[in-house]
Amino acid sequence: MSSRDAAAAALRAAPSALLSRFGRTGVLAALFVVQIALTSILVPGFFSVWGLFDATRAFVEVGLISLAMTLVIITGGIDLSVGALLALVSVAIGFSYQAGLPLGFACALGVLVGVAGGALNGLVTTYFRLHPLVVTLGTFALFRGIAFAVSDADAVSSFPDWFTVFGQYKIYNFVPVQLVVLAVFVVLFWLLLSKTPFGRYVYALGHNETACRFSGVATERVKIAVYSLMGLMVGIAGLVHTSRIFSARGNAGFGLELIAIAIVVLGGARILGGSGTIWGTVFGLLILSYLQDGLSFAGIRGDFGLVVIGAVLILGVFINENIRAAGK
Amino acid sequence: MPDAAASEAGAARAPSAVLHTLLARPEFPALVFLLLLAAVFSVTTRGFFAAGNLLGIVEQGVIIAIVGLAVNQVILTAEIDVSVGSVLAVCAFVFGNVAMEYGGMVLPLAASLAAGLLIGAVNGALSTYGKVPSIITTLGALFVYRGLILLLAGAQVLNVPKESRVLGLSDLAGVPVSVLLLAVLIVAFYWVSRNTAWGWNIYAVGGNESGAVTLGLPIHSTRLIAFTLSGASCGLAAAVFLGQIGQLQATAATSFELRVITAVVLGGTSIRGGRGSVFSPVVGALLVGVILNAMTLNRVPGTMELFVLGVLILLSVSTEGLRQRYLEKKL
Repeated sequence: MSSRDAAAAALRAAPSALLSRFGRTGVLAALFVVQIALTSILVPGFFSVWGLFDATRAFVEVGLISLAMTLVIITGGIDLSVGALLALVSVAIGFSYQAGLPLGFACALGVLVGVAGGALNGLVTTYFRLHPLVVTLGTFALFRGIAFAVSDADAVSSFPDWFTVFGQYKIYNFVPVQLVVLAVFVVLFWLLLSKTPFGRYVYALGHNETACRFSGVATERVKIAVYSLMGLMVGIAGLVHTSRIFSARGNAGFGLELIAIAIVVLGGARILGGSGTIWGTVFGLLILSYLQDGLSFAGIRGDFGLVVIGAVLILGVFINENIRAAGK
Repeated sequence: MPDAAASEAGAARAPSAVLHTLLARPEFPALVFLLLLAAVFSVTTRGFFAAGNLLGIVEQGVIIAIVGLAVNQVILTAEIDVSVGSVLAVCAFVFGNVAMEYGGMVLPLAASLAAGLLIGAVNGALSTYGKVPSIITTLGALFVYRGLILLLAGAQVLNVPKESRVLGLSDLAGVPVSVLLLAVLIVAFYWVSRNTAWGWNIYAVGGNESGAVTLGLPIHSTRLIAFTLSGASCGLAAAVFLGQIGQLQATAATSFELRVITAVVLGGTSIRGGRGSVFSPVVGALLVGVILNAMTLNRVPGTMELFVLGVLILLSVSTEGLRQRYLEKKL
């Protein structure tokens, strides 16, 4: 088989992977309903429409990041630096504001820092032909280190009132504004991934990078774009986060990379690349977030959440890899 | 090992060839960098070149190096282990509790080694036979075990009795026991890596996995042993760690895995696997120790540590990428 045929096969396989995933989304949706029902029975006080709706405020940030993480993982990559980058974005917003920059510019600067951080990951990965896992392990320490060094273990919390708009404001006193942002991005990412050539390239890259390059796709540019997009989403999430907790500190976003990767994997994306959907990620987000919510409602300590998410991550990949292998 | 053979043959060649073979030694650039840096700090930093300070660097480096020796083998097989910070904390927790209950040295060490061995074996089994990529297994493990430690030991104050702190406190003829232990480990790893099938398979599996499969080499068990050793080394390092500081907090050894990985890649082991030497993590650990020590002496705030580790990781993996490009051009 010539490499061109292989490339064509890789491109053809992408939509069929999409189709077969619809079954999985259905399973996830059913799982979600069962989960909410079970938690409502087991944990008194958990179930109320208002409560369930209000809880979404807390997981919009990780949701925004998971959307872009889906693309990163479909290309066969990984980004371990997102939690650290979120802290850096938050610190950039808070401390540039404290240094005298108007808050509007400080917010823009924060989002730019996010994009720049993501682009750095993409550029180093492609230029030195390194696996993103090492690069983002390095930038994980780098971003967190800069955030700590700049903030000097201090926090900025003296924002003007209008800054609540990104993370605390509710439209008609009911819909949290960041939930609308998340919904818009879910639709945008779904369109990007399943309706555009760029989305096809992302799948093709994850299926077979060499074949994808030989069929004329500028694979390095696609990669840089994917990581920059990741950075943009971290920038926006960082803005929402800083506004929601109304404080900028260097230890923000601890363990966020783990949660985001766990969500994407739970949503059915293969960690080795080539498959995954936005809707899978959305249900992964709902399931994992309400699991955490339920645990905290049941009075279980937050540290236990780390254990649960770590276990979900390993189990999720284990099931994905082994059940799929058996099915083939 | 091909590297060592090349350097012996290269000794008789022209100067440029000698330089080339020296450059081809994985740990050589790091060693030069270490000596240069130590010389610079001796001149510029007051208090750096003093017996007590240098001993302090070595004693701190020993813990990184003990774990580094094993993680080095994991990275040589083209896998990664980012869980060692939490595993070290779990082992220290086990060691401390057994030491408080029963005292002595043997029982706590045996328990701590067993805990590390078990955790490492589970990581390894999942990453090989379980088909879960090692970054996922060990990242998950990093959080699972840290969460467990926070749950179990969050409020506990652990004070280890003196008789159980031999590995951290005692010395033989002026040389700390921990340094002697490391020396023994280096010799053991060197011997195993040159004289056993497993030692050779490590390089084959990491250097060319499909080739290793074609040759019928046991890639899964080779990696499983490397992961198990990585866990066990945490069990051993925990004894030195607790021996030195005497008490344990639930947040102990956070980001220790970054120090270890920095030491391994800084020492010249390729993050892609298949290339590196047993000495890489040792040279790297000393280098990390020297840099962190000079930062402390120059009153650089401790908040800068992560930043410096990040820069070091990125620099060393990037030079590895550049080196590969250079060698490709030469061919």
